Amino acid sequence: MMHSECVAMILAGGQGSRLGALTTTVAKPAVPFGGKYRIIDFPLSNCANSSITTVGVLTQYQPLELNTYIGSGQPWDMDRTNGGVFVLPPFVRGNKGEWYKGTANAIYQNTEFIEQFRPEYVLILSGDHIYKMDYRKMLKYHQQRQADATIAVINVPLAEASRYGIMSADDTGRIYDFTEKPKEPKSTLASMGVYIFRWDILKKYLAMDESNVSSSNDFGKDVIPAMLADGCGMYAYAFDGYWKDVGTVRSLWEANMDMLGDNPVFNLRDEAWRIYSRTAGMPPQFISAKSTVTDSCITEGCYVAGEVLHSVIFTGVDIEEDTRIENSIILPYARVRRGAYIKNSVVGEHADIGQDVVIGCEQGNIPRPCSPLCGGGITLVGKGIKVAAGARVQSGVMLDFDVEPSEVGKLQV
Amino acid sequence: MMDTVGIIMTGDNDARLAELTRVRSVAALPVAGRYRLIDFTLSGMVNSGIVNVGVTTRSNYRSLMDHLGSGKEWDLNRKLYGLRILPPYIRGEEHYSGDMDILRGIREFLAHSKQKYVLIAHGDLLFNPRFEDLQRQHISSGADITVMYNNSLCSPDGVRIELDGCRVTDMEVHPERAEVCSNLLGIFFMEKELLCSQIAHCSGRGLHDFVMDVLVRNVEKMNICGYEYKGFAGRIDSVNAYYRNNMMMLNADVRRELFLSKNFIYTKVKDTVPTYYSSAARVSDSVVADGCRIEGVVENSIIFRGVQIGRGAYIRNSIVMQNSVIEQDAGLDYAVLDKSVTVRKGKRISGQDSFPVIVGKNVTV
Repeated sequence: MMHSECVAMILAGGQGSRLGALTTTVAKPAVPFGGKYRIIDFPLSNCANSSITTVGVLTQYQPLELNTYIGSGQPWDMDRTNGGVFVLPPFVRGNKGEWYKGTANAIYQNTEFIEQFRPEYVLILSGDHIYKMDYRKMLKYHQQRQADATIAVINVPLAEASRYGIMSADDTGRIYDFTEKPKEPKSTLASMGVYIFRWDILKKYLAMDESNVSSSNDFGKDVIPAMLADGCGMYAYAFDGYWKDVGTVRSLWEANMDMLGDNPVFNLRDEAWRIYSRTAGMPPQFISAKSTVTDSCITEGCYVAGEVLHSVIFTGVDIEEDTRIENSIILPYARVRRGAYIKNSVVGEHADIGQDVVIGCEQGNIPRPCSPLCGGGITLVGKGIKVAAGARVQSGVMLDFDVEPSEVGKLQV
Repeated sequence: MMDTVGIIMTGDNDARLAELTRVRSVAALPVAGRYRLIDFTLSGMVNSGIVNVGVTTRSNYRSLMDHLGSGKEWDLNRKLYGLRILPPYIRGEEHYSGDMDILRGIREFLAHSKQKYVLIAHGDLLFNPRFEDLQRQHISSGADITVMYNNSLCSPDGVRIELDGCRVTDMEVHPERAEVCSNLLGIFFMEKELLCSQIAHCSGRGLHDFVMDVLVRNVEKMNICGYEYKGFAGRIDSVNAYYRNNMMMLNADVRRELFLSKNFIYTKVKDTVPTYYSSAARVSDSVVADGCRIEGVVENSIIFRGVQIGRGAYIRNSIVMQNSVIEQDAGLDYAVLDKSVTVRKGKRISGQDSFPVIVGKNVTV
């Protein structure tokens, strides 16, 4: 009979709607990151390095690419006889089935999956944060305090605290208050969306939550407050490494930029904690005589003949001559044609940036208003978007449609 | 599907590459920034639909075994056939003196392979082949054995052939000419039954060498046909050839043929981070693998995985293998560095284009 002490459940079903044109056809955890990774590589690699190799990945929104990417789990050392990684979409039971209604409901619907392994603990992770963490340390903390639940927390600036689930804890780490997105935050300890529960206790509260028709079936809004109100032993585990919620275009861009520099804020070059991914195995990059590459990351399959400054260039990108790319991230297999100038931008997978195109300029020259969802001066060219030669795309814009040659030069409305 | 069993014979010509093959066989030589030489032959076989591949080894095959593993990366980790590594099978006082002995040692493997044809290769070519056309010609020409060749500068280590149409009329081993001629590429195609009967024939008569005793000896008796390979094929049979052919990776046409064709070259995948180019980096005309950290000048060079190049250092016209470290202000010109070499601060290594300096694995300069 199978037995795993701890089963990890990664919530990877969300769309990440604030990423807009990057997630119209793919779930957020499958979004590329860091040159050759995808967001889900982080929780998966953290699990592998923490010797947690029974992992369920809950998918729902646009799961195809994510499911194919995960496959048997071999890149993350999870192609196992005992345990391994399992993709868990919503399913029909008897003659009915439901989509996952909320984070807690998603786990509830997979109770039987977890039961197979008769675990003592369940580790709940979100599939859309960038961080390196040894979950064994958190588990040890949880065991030492004989906690019912442990929530990993990180200190955030007071000014931003209202964006998070904030908790107050005493000297022993015991949580006595938890409020989702409080208007007046009482502390700066924010929930990272990483929870360890005693499985027998979690099972009980999930069932109770399910039968509560007014619940939104969410961990942060419903289950955790319910447990707290009942006096469960809940502890805050302080984490002090790099942690980034890459839910917006701006934060995704920032997290990538954090990899650059002589002493990067986020250092992936860590022999002790490797991040694994399923790579294409492409030929090594070629840097031509006409190029200049400084303060940037480039990876396999790339051809670079232009100027690249302070940028992250992903797998298989083609950068032609006389181009200039600065402060930008160019996602896999995009093509940047001769003379193009891209700054402060995110260019999506397989995008085709035409000759002499400018992305991120002050004054654009294409019609039709675009949904300006990119904050902080970042411009986004969506996945697969083709931008005709000579187009100028204004800074801040989210380009989620092709720019035809006929539209170049007509001023923006 | 080619109905063919592939045999890659490795470990034959190690001696000619001295320092580079002290710790590994030629087939396991790191090439082109991230591959091992055998990847090209192996991928060619897989891309041609050959799913039963035996790799014979002689000695020094730990690197090769470690690299190939179960054959998963080449899609050869299979229940039905797949990849088989065939180390030497020696009893008591026996020893191998030639490749016919090695082939005799893998009789069982051949017997279990139910394919009609066999393709023998040596895993020492830098190329991107498909073998279906070779088979087609073999069948339509009615040849007993088809040998793959190309027209290139005569190699004193090779075999020169003369042809009349497609029929081979003469063969000369270790030719002493300095001109372009037809050279064997070490790739032979025939019916498996014929190979097995030749193995038996040679074993009973003290004949040990495939080229001499099966081909040259039978040029007139058998119908041996030549198949011309017209693509790029770099034969790594000397240190100079290793250097020259790796440097061909800097040529756009060669790169296109090897790496941008629909025939993918598979290799073992490592979990390395993207390469970082610092603000002081000046890289041009170079092939760079992942995992590197570059703060100096790199020109006209091939840099393998995980190499660190310090500030003020320069690397020109060189090949630097995995995990080597070129410290601040150090310099390389026409050098080949094996894995994990350290070149200390300010040290300079300088060779010539016809005579690159080789630094062995794990050495500190």
